[in-house]
Amino acid sequence: MTRLRRDPRAERAAIQVATIHVAAGARPRYDRTAKGAAKGAALAADGRSRRDPRAERAGQRVPGANRPRFDLSQVVAGPAVRGEMPVVGESRQPAAPKIVVVEDPAFLVAVVPDAAGGRLSGHDRQVLGAARMLAGREGGVVVVSAGPCEGCGPAGADRHVALAEPGADPAARAAVVAAALEALNPRHVLFPESLDGGDLARRVAVRMGAALFDNAEVVAATGLVRPARGRRVEQRAAPGLLATVAADAVPDYGGAPREARAVTVETVPAPASNLLSAERIPADPATVPLALAEFVAAAGNGIHDLDLFRQVVAALHATPGASRVLCDAGLMPRHSQVGASGTVLAATCYVALGISGAPQHLQGIAGCEHVVAVNTDLHAAMIERAGLAIVQDAQAVMAALLGLLEQEAARHAAGDPASGDRTGAAS
Amino acid sequence: MHSFMPLTTVFPGLVWAMAALALVQTARRAALWRVGSAAPVAWLHGLARLPRRYLVDVHHVVARDPYASRMHAVVAGGLLAASLLTALAILPPLAQSRAYWLLVALAFAVTAVGSVLVGARRYPAKQKRLSAGRFQILPFLLLAYAVGGTLTALLLAVGTGGIALPFTLALAAAGGLGLAFEVRQGPMRHAVAGALHLAAHPRPGRFEGRPDTALQPLDLEAPRLGAEMPADFTWNRLLSYDACVSCGRCEIACPAFAAGQPLNPKRLIQDLVAGLNPAEPPYAGNPYPGGREAEGERGPLARLIGPDARIHPDTLWSCTTCRACVEECPMMIEHVDAVVSLRRYQTLERGALPEKAIGPVTELRQSGDAGGRPLPARTDFAAGLDLPLMADRGQADVLLWLGEGAYDLRYGRTLRALVRLLRQANVDFAVLGPEERDTGDLARRLGDEATFQALARENVATLAKYRFARIVTADPHALHALRNEYPAFGGPYTVVHHTAFLLELIRAGRLTPGRLPDLSVTYHDPCYLARYNGETEAPRAVLDAIGLARVEMARSGKRAMCCGGGGGAPVSDIPGERRIPDLRMAQAAETGAGVVAVACPSCTAMLEGVTDRKAEVRDIAELLLQAVEAGR
Amino acid sequence: MKIAVLLSAGRHPVSGAAVLPRLEAQAIRIAVRLGEAFGVLDGGSAPFGLHAGPDAATVADALGQGLARIEHLVLPEGVDPVPALAEHLAATAPDVILAGRRGQGGGESGIVPYALAAALDRPLIADVVSVAPGDEAGTLRLDQSLGRGALRRVVVRGPVVATVHPDAPASLAYAFGRARRGTIVSLEPTAEPVAGPAIPVEERPYRRRPKIVKGAPAGGSAAERLKAATGESGAAASGRLLVDPAPEEAAREILAYLRRVGVVAPDSTRPNS
Repeated sequence: MTRLRRDPRAERAAIQVATIHVAAGARPRYDRTAKGAAKGAALAADGRSRRDPRAERAGQRVPGANRPRFDLSQVVAGPAVRGEMPVVGESRQPAAPKIVVVEDPAFLVAVVPDAAGGRLSGHDRQVLGAARMLAGREGGVVVVSAGPCEGCGPAGADRHVALAEPGADPAARAAVVAAALEALNPRHVLFPESLDGGDLARRVAVRMGAALFDNAEVVAATGLVRPARGRRVEQRAAPGLLATVAADAVPDYGGAPREARAVTVETVPAPASNLLSAERIPADPATVPLALAEFVAAAGNGIHDLDLFRQVVAALHATPGASRVLCDAGLMPRHSQVGASGTVLAATCYVALGISGAPQHLQGIAGCEHVVAVNTDLHAAMIERAGLAIVQDAQAVMAALLGLLEQEAARHAAGDPASGDRTGAAS
Repeated sequence: MHSFMPLTTVFPGLVWAMAALALVQTARRAALWRVGSAAPVAWLHGLARLPRRYLVDVHHVVARDPYASRMHAVVAGGLLAASLLTALAILPPLAQSRAYWLLVALAFAVTAVGSVLVGARRYPAKQKRLSAGRFQILPFLLLAYAVGGTLTALLLAVGTGGIALPFTLALAAAGGLGLAFEVRQGPMRHAVAGALHLAAHPRPGRFEGRPDTALQPLDLEAPRLGAEMPADFTWNRLLSYDACVSCGRCEIACPAFAAGQPLNPKRLIQDLVAGLNPAEPPYAGNPYPGGREAEGERGPLARLIGPDARIHPDTLWSCTTCRACVEECPMMIEHVDAVVSLRRYQTLERGALPEKAIGPVTELRQSGDAGGRPLPARTDFAAGLDLPLMADRGQADVLLWLGEGAYDLRYGRTLRALVRLLRQANVDFAVLGPEERDTGDLARRLGDEATFQALARENVATLAKYRFARIVTADPHALHALRNEYPAFGGPYTVVHHTAFLLELIRAGRLTPGRLPDLSVTYHDPCYLARYNGETEAPRAVLDAIGLARVEMARSGKRAMCCGGGGGAPVSDIPGERRIPDLRMAQAAETGAGVVAVACPSCTAMLEGVTDRKAEVRDIAELLLQAVEAGR
Repeated sequence: MKIAVLLSAGRHPVSGAAVLPRLEAQAIRIAVRLGEAFGVLDGGSAPFGLHAGPDAATVADALGQGLARIEHLVLPEGVDPVPALAEHLAATAPDVILAGRRGQGGGESGIVPYALAAALDRPLIADVVSVAPGDEAGTLRLDQSLGRGALRRVVVRGPVVATVHPDAPASLAYAFGRARRGTIVSLEPTAEPVAGPAIPVEERPYRRRPKIVKGAPAGGSAAERLKAATGESGAAASGRLLVDPAPEEAAREILAYLRRVGVVAPDSTRPNS
């Protein structure tokens, strides 16, 4: 068998990019993607198409990232070995994402998201990412949500089963979900290992009589991994029917949006609830323990008018905190002290008013994602720590902030009384 | 002459009657001490050493207040001399001697002067630290006895007597019998209980020149762990509390009292006394800060600690175990032992630790570190320093005990400095690394003796695997535990504080520091080094060796004030009006020194935590390293 | 009112020492408080612990943390404890069964309380932070944590199984003297060991894996992830610094920042939680 001789020189000349070439002293540049076309004719004589790893790679590229990322799971089912055309992923043009359709999935991977308030949580998205990984190219991901759920398609769902809201009792929810799962007969079912998701997963597992692989930190078709014995060992198992996925362990689905086609399954009526009553008591930011608070505003030595501070905190719906100096002086209660010797915060956002930021204090806010500091000292440690640092008298800024919030509230009440009533009732 | 003869007998008879009354009152009191549990006491030795203990050890403490010292010498010396001389006058030859009566009159006159000195402390206005109550009548009783005695003796000496004699004798009798009566539950109890306490002291080592400061191990098999009620204390401890003279020196020294935390050592001891004796007259000194009134039942079997009992739990947990009260107590009372005994019951039997201390103590028990941090992370501070591990070496001259401070970022700097100094001096040293557990100091001071003993046994077993000559540590708390408390668990070690060791290296010429004359420094004595181990000189000698301008704070050496970091006080975190380290830093600021030299991780952490401090807080090892580097 | 606390053979997360899992210690505190509310403190009706496994030594800590008695069902290593526990609990019939979220030492999947609730046909209330008698006789009021201090208060009648949330009050201190006085009763279970659903697993030493960092741009560099992880991510990375702005401007900036972060509701609608 003779093979045609390649003429590399000619091939290269054919793909040289002309526009760049004109620039004096610039390096010659070549369009490697044109290479296939250039040599296509020659290869055709061979009767066998060559793989084009470059194009395959490009096809695997996940859109939307500022650093190239590739979805390697695409290669398994890649038609490069079968078809003429190299893989050209649907996601090739990130500008116009095409909706991916899996018409007839070989199997289903179900995801039961928390979907509180009808929206996927960050954790839910990660679980969908994990499910997408398990489903690969041939499988389909089906979201089974109790109640409506938005945004399943972009998060990686091929199908969506929206069950009727079964009420507050998790036992009823589990019954409904388990029935739906039995009807769908998925290969795998994933839950988020969250408060509600973990609870639901275990109820479903008991109801279905199936084993649960909980708190998976690694999800792959080859196996799931979870920590055990106080993180001394990890356990690996092949993906079974039921599994829960740990938070922040698996990335979101990053590919093109999927169709999330609505599917209905036969449902069972929710069984009677054992709960005599269930009432949600929202956390009151004014009284919630500091360690649990989401949003803390704290006063330090730079604050003299604590009444104003309390008003601002109330208007912001934040939880009040204080530096040690104020607590020592008895101006703020001891339980509001932030810092290593007071409370270590788990808040998302921390507003430091007139706090310079002693090391012990900074230890207390090490876990806060966002920090706003208002302080007169440009060189205070807190200013350096803050995402938004304002070098100004905290007293004056507090007054302005309170004025602004009151202004908004007044404008709102005047302009939209109905809405004002509603929020008034809610708060 | 008819009335002359009997009066020379009646007067000595009065003193004998006083003695008899005092004896009866003492016996009534002693019945209460007997409810306490048994304690081994070397009576003969104690009694033999009594004069020395009184004249040397007690006087050493009393003399810190020169006025009180002079007052006591005059009034007590006079009282004893006058009473003894009068009592001897029962012998006819003496009674006949006019010169003898003149001598007696002189002794009584001295007593009278002393009585006036006693009164001057209380009238017109009482000194703040003193207790009122029955102590307020003490000067009058003394004066009556002394003046009555003086006049009687003078009249007998002159031989005129006549109509005045019965009156002067009556005056002396009123005062004298009053004093004797006060032996049971009045001011004069301190004289009898104090003397007996000196003989039967629970820590005789204090008088032998060694710092007998180790807490006594608790038998974990005992039916009741720690002290719940007065009867749970040993009898000689109950006796020691009765020796309290309510002078209030302890409350002046107490850091928790100064910070407005609900602790007053005098009140605490008086509450133990009053708890034992339901008939005790009401307490009349300064209250616990916060002004809580005494409540709850009394009696040998009454619960002492509780929100509704005589002593509030917050009082108990405010103590930093700094021993300042013990150091200042002229009656040699061991307040800290009492506090720890009471804490032991609360912790071991009731699990009633302060809420914030539960976490650290639980972690200590479960993971060998109060912060629950991984033991291998203890050496993280030395990243890049390549610490030699005992496990690899098997032996070394010096075992460097890192302690809990090693986890702290700030204190890691000190330890790095120390390690570099040891390297510089070519010291053959190694650390235990991941094998080192907490010494259990925190658990022990908080009363969790079970955890302490478990940790001590584990550490002793680890140390037994290796050969080393000495343990060097920068943590006085670890030093105290290893040196003084581990011997009871089979671990007798030679333990040296890093300042002493560094001084040794300097003196041996193995470290040649330059001089840092530009720095002005004041040294803050750690309680567990100075008071617990009597080491106050080595750190100062190191500072002097590097030529610093050293100034002393008003309270320094063995009388230094605590930083607030001991005894689990930082984890108990009992609220007060001020913070102890703020007070201490203010004292340091009074000296004008730019650097506060420290020698303890707790002190470093507490003093560094003071906001708006002007002075820098630096460990002696850091200063020495700077000097050594300057010297090159 | 009979209260049982399920105890498991835990390991300290750092030292690996055998300890009582923290949540179960917290469950004991809830049990003790509930017992006090019903006036049962000592004696046979006091809250008791229940452990199924080869050795009760590891749960003996519970005796020092508030329980006076532990019933120990002696089971060989690796046997599903649910049948034995279910049988024993059906016989003793406690009104409240408290458990941690995930027992340690066995399968560690947290399924045991659910399986028990199903076997005993009782409702299971997950993630409670407090249990108290309800207003009506025979009812219980349980507060479930929804995280961040939000609660769901449910009222149930009759016997329940409940699991405990970490936000429940911290555990009681360990009292050595109490531990010394407590008793462990060993019992031989009569239930036939039935193999429950299990997954064959392969074990190896734990390997810590990088967490997906919130706020890090997808596909960002390691440096970006580090920034995100150390709290200097997103808006903070820019570290906006305003020196001496007008207070009004500063206030507007702060409000805009807080809205961007999402802790203050956008526009002028008020946040309701």
